[in-house]
Amino acid sequence: MPHLEVRDVVARYGSHEVLSGVSLDVDRGEVVALVGPSGSGKSTVLRVLVGLLQPVSGSVRVGGQAVDYRSAGQVRAIRNRMAIVFQQYNLFQNMDVMRNVTLAPIRIKRRDRREVETLAVALLERVGLGQKLHAFPDELSGGQQQRVAIARALALRPEILLLDEVTSALDPELVNEVLDVIRDLAREGMTMILVSHEMAFVREVADRVVMMDKGQVIESGPPAEILDAPRTERAREFFGKILRH
Amino acid sequence: MNYTFQFGVVWRDLGALMDGALVTFQLGLLAFWGGALIGLAGAALKTFGPRPVRALVDTYVVFLTNTPALIQIYFLYFGLAEFRIRWSGEFCLLLGLTLNAGAYLTMIMRAGFLSVRRAEMEAGEVLGMTRLQQISYIIAPHIARTIYPALANFFIVILVMGTSIGAVIGVDELTGTAITLATVNYRWLEYFTVVAGLYIVLTLIASVGLALFGRWAFRVKARVF
Ligand SMILES: Nc1ncnc2c1ncn2[C@@H]1O[C@H](COP(=O)(O)OP(=O)(O)OP(=O)(O)O)[C@@H](O)[C@H]1O
Ligand SMILES: [Mg+2]
Repeated sequence: MPHLEVRDVVARYGSHEVLSGVSLDVDRGEVVALVGPSGSGKSTVLRVLVGLLQPVSGSVRVGGQAVDYRSAGQVRAIRNRMAIVFQQYNLFQNMDVMRNVTLAPIRIKRRDRREVETLAVALLERVGLGQKLHAFPDELSGGQQQRVAIARALALRPEILLLDEVTSALDPELVNEVLDVIRDLAREGMTMILVSHEMAFVREVADRVVMMDKGQVIESGPPAEILDAPRTERAREFFGKILRH
Repeated sequence: MNYTFQFGVVWRDLGALMDGALVTFQLGLLAFWGGALIGLAGAALKTFGPRPVRALVDTYVVFLTNTPALIQIYFLYFGLAEFRIRWSGEFCLLLGLTLNAGAYLTMIMRAGFLSVRRAEMEAGEVLGMTRLQQISYIIAPHIARTIYPALANFFIVILVMGTSIGAVIGVDELTGTAITLATVNYRWLEYFTVVAGLYIVLTLIASVGLALFGRWAFRVKARVF
């Protein structure tokens, strides 16, 4: 049984249908890359999963249990199990690095302060920011901020980590420092859904690639299969374009 | 012109004037903090509240920012007396100034609410924050930081302009005290010269205090002067 099971999810922004029946499985410890053209609905899938956008129909199961996104309690519960990192890092500008990472575990999840602080320092050291514990976001580079955002997500000890184009807002020379962190996580068996346009990286870390187009999944399989020998014309066109540059 | 300044009487009353200055400062501070709380609540309700609540906030703001504070305080002091509601001058002044400040600060803070990055709010939401937690951990500090200069200016406005209204309803704040004393010996010019000096001292203390506080609490990069 997959750890995360998404079935026929339909979602709309107003009257504009953005997801038209998306299904997707993620096993425990698996890294699934979500790829596809701009506007195909990749971010929307992640937003639905963390309860930022209510699905119109379809179902989401985590660990076999169905999630009712209309219930505030269940949405809260799901946010204890999944963490998301956005493209624009979204750090709290008025807090230093440490507080960005520890605020939610301590003040929202009510975990023990000592334990959380120890974990936060360890996480920040592992993303290479052990020297920046008390810097504010506006004193950090984009790559550093994004690594703080990843540490903040990990401090929640999520079962599933959702990463939405976490490198696409970064200057090219900063991309690798963030990819290194994700590569480590993958190696350690973190379950992840990774939205990315970095095809070389996807090929390297993903166990499976899911390709979306116009709000639907059009192909899914191992990276070699999807990236090198796409079955659909649409996917061939997309990868042809993206892999050429 | 043949006026001879005689500051002697004024120096004798310096103690009373200083007491007046202290009352002015306390009134200004209380009205500002009360107003800031109302402003925060008003801006929150205006942004997140249901439609009828938003309309109510609008009405409050429109009414209190488009009528003179003097009239509002007269209304509380003399107007309500007609309905046998008799409050002391101090209380009416404080209440009036607080409500008035609350309306202006609702407008000022609303701008702060609108300038919060939606992304930061979403980050808070997915970390499990409730609306109230988002307001207290993200919006309030953001407002404090971005509109702190506007808030600080507004405090000075209340301090020197707002509180002096007390003079007309018998509150012994700085202006009121000076008027009471000058009525006795007609040394208006001397009293008001000294009072002007005291207001400037109050304003300077407040400005420096606010700038230092802003720097320490919110990393506001404001100059002291
Ligand atoms: N807040 C919103 N309100 C209305 N429409 C939206 C909103 N966010 C996204 N959309 C629309 O939903 C569709 C899917 O958007 P989504 O962000 O999921 O695409 P994406 O695959 O992540 O694209 P990208 O690669 O550009 O990030 C797009 O047509 C977009 O215009
Ligand atoms: Mg996207």
